[in-house]
Amino acid sequence: MGERPTAPRAADPTVGYPPPPAAESPPPPAAVAVPAALVDPSVTILVDHVSRWYGNVVAVNDVSIALRPGITGLLGPNGAGKTTILNMAAGLLRPSAGSVTVLGAPAWRNPATYRRIGLVPEREAVYPFLTGREFVRLNAKLQGLADPDGATRTAIHTVDLDAAADRAVGTYSKGMRQRVKVAAALVHEPQVLLLDEPFNGMDPRQRLHMMELLTGMAREGRTILFSSHILEEVERLAQSVLVIVAGRLAASGNFRDIRRLMTDRPHTFTIHSSDNRRLAAALLERDPVFGVELADGLLTVRSADYAAFTRLVAGVARDTSVTLYELRPTDESLESVFQYLVAR
Amino acid sequence: MIETILRLTLRSLLSRRRSILMLLLALSPVLIAVLVRLAGRPVDPVRIEVNVLEGLVVRTVLPLVALVLGTGAVGSELEDGTAVYLLAKPIPRWKITAAKLLAAGGLTAALVAPATLVTGLMIGGDQGGGGGVAIAYALAAVVGSFLYVSVFLAASVATGRSLIIGLVYTLLWEGLLAGLFAGSRAFSIREYTIGIAGIIAPERIKPALDPITTIVGTTVFLIVAVVLATRWLGMYQVRAAE
Repeated sequence: MGERPTAPRAADPTVGYPPPPAAESPPPPAAVAVPAALVDPSVTILVDHVSRWYGNVVAVNDVSIALRPGITGLLGPNGAGKTTILNMAAGLLRPSAGSVTVLGAPAWRNPATYRRIGLVPEREAVYPFLTGREFVRLNAKLQGLADPDGATRTAIHTVDLDAAADRAVGTYSKGMRQRVKVAAALVHEPQVLLLDEPFNGMDPRQRLHMMELLTGMAREGRTILFSSHILEEVERLAQSVLVIVAGRLAASGNFRDIRRLMTDRPHTFTIHSSDNRRLAAALLERDPVFGVELADGLLTVRSADYAAFTRLVAGVARDTSVTLYELRPTDESLESVFQYLVAR
Repeated sequence: MIETILRLTLRSLLSRRRSILMLLLALSPVLIAVLVRLAGRPVDPVRIEVNVLEGLVVRTVLPLVALVLGTGAVGSELEDGTAVYLLAKPIPRWKITAAKLLAAGGLTAALVAPATLVTGLMIGGDQGGGGGVAIAYALAAVVGSFLYVSVFLAASVATGRSLIIGLVYTLLWEGLLAGLFAGSRAFSIREYTIGIAGIIAPERIKPALDPITTIVGTTVFLIVAVVLATRWLGMYQVRAAE
């Protein structure tokens, strides 16, 4: 992991709140300059130098985030610390170090802030003996709403669950369960909505509908922070992205910047062919290829451009009369992309 | 607010299969009473009545029903994650504790107290003082229900192993250790429950604790358990999912 990357910055909705210096040399508290985000009234969620550990395991490591109204995606592989960050923002987990402020108030041990926060937890469990309508109405009543029935009707309609509202939640599909959880979280029209993997189990149509719903809510000036381990979900929905890897904030900013960082990295392919040496020599003359290696009967090629290389390789093989037996990109998993971002 | 949580908790507790088991457990003293009646009239029915109500109801049935319902009222929700829907709400934590205590304590009392009354009346109700003994134990069971549930509720907020801790408390502490020394009896819910029955029917029930110790101990136990449960609920942290 080494050095902290220089994260790209975007105007929306994460505000300029530079990551702290390396954890090895924290500045003395008295010397900490108050970051702009601490006094910026438009900041709705402020995670200030937050760490969280469980025994010897560090789940979140010195993360600083400042969010404004809009949609922010918390992107990272499973186990990266996304749920821990969301739980701390939701006041359900105490940071081991640092502080989390939501709408100007501390998140931890402050039940009053739940009037303005909606939470969709990752865990699926919902009271199975309640109907969808009863579950949403329960949340409306617990929020102390003046018209719980009206708010329930609106919330159920918003998530398009009218037809199944009077069925027991225990009979719901995974996607329906997610939607009823979202309805329960927005029944009191919160200013801040925290969603942990909200698209899990939804079919493409439901996913699209939920994305439209969240986009609409963001347009009304709400702050929406959702987590996902799926790049495409974040790409389609979030104006701003926070990439979390191994408990650290690996990059943050506008999705295009993050995407460029991801696609501009070197890609590696392994090739098995009838004449690896001849193919290597021919490939090395081409533009997107900047390194070749011959070992154990395999040719390893490094290229700056994934798509250009895949288009190029077949033509080069044909021109040099080499038969390609196997062409395989190595380690194109999202995890490795994330690791690359951290290591930069 | 309390009513909403109370209703939810009652539905949650009643929807589980273990509630049926608890009903059967609560009815077991009635079965004993039927057997006693079928066996013919004992020499001193009221003594038999006291023995059955104290030995079976107060020592076994009451703590077990309270343990299952008390730890189930909050502990199960914390375990499966549904508690988040209560905790992530602008509700003072004492209201959650109060609602849970009323639901689980009330349900325990509703199961145990009527069974106690029926059992007592069947065995010695038609004898001098027998009716009073049955009423005394039934009322004591109501107080004992809330007392046991408050302690088990607090334990279930503090730890995921509250069922085991509750069993150790009931069987080991109350069953063995508390009886060994006079001083340790003052830290036993069982002794408080018998003490309350003794205050109501002093001529036939002879508790080990005097009335003042019983009343002070009952009050202190209840307050401490509710305060701790509320405090721990306010500091509750969701378990790591990742």
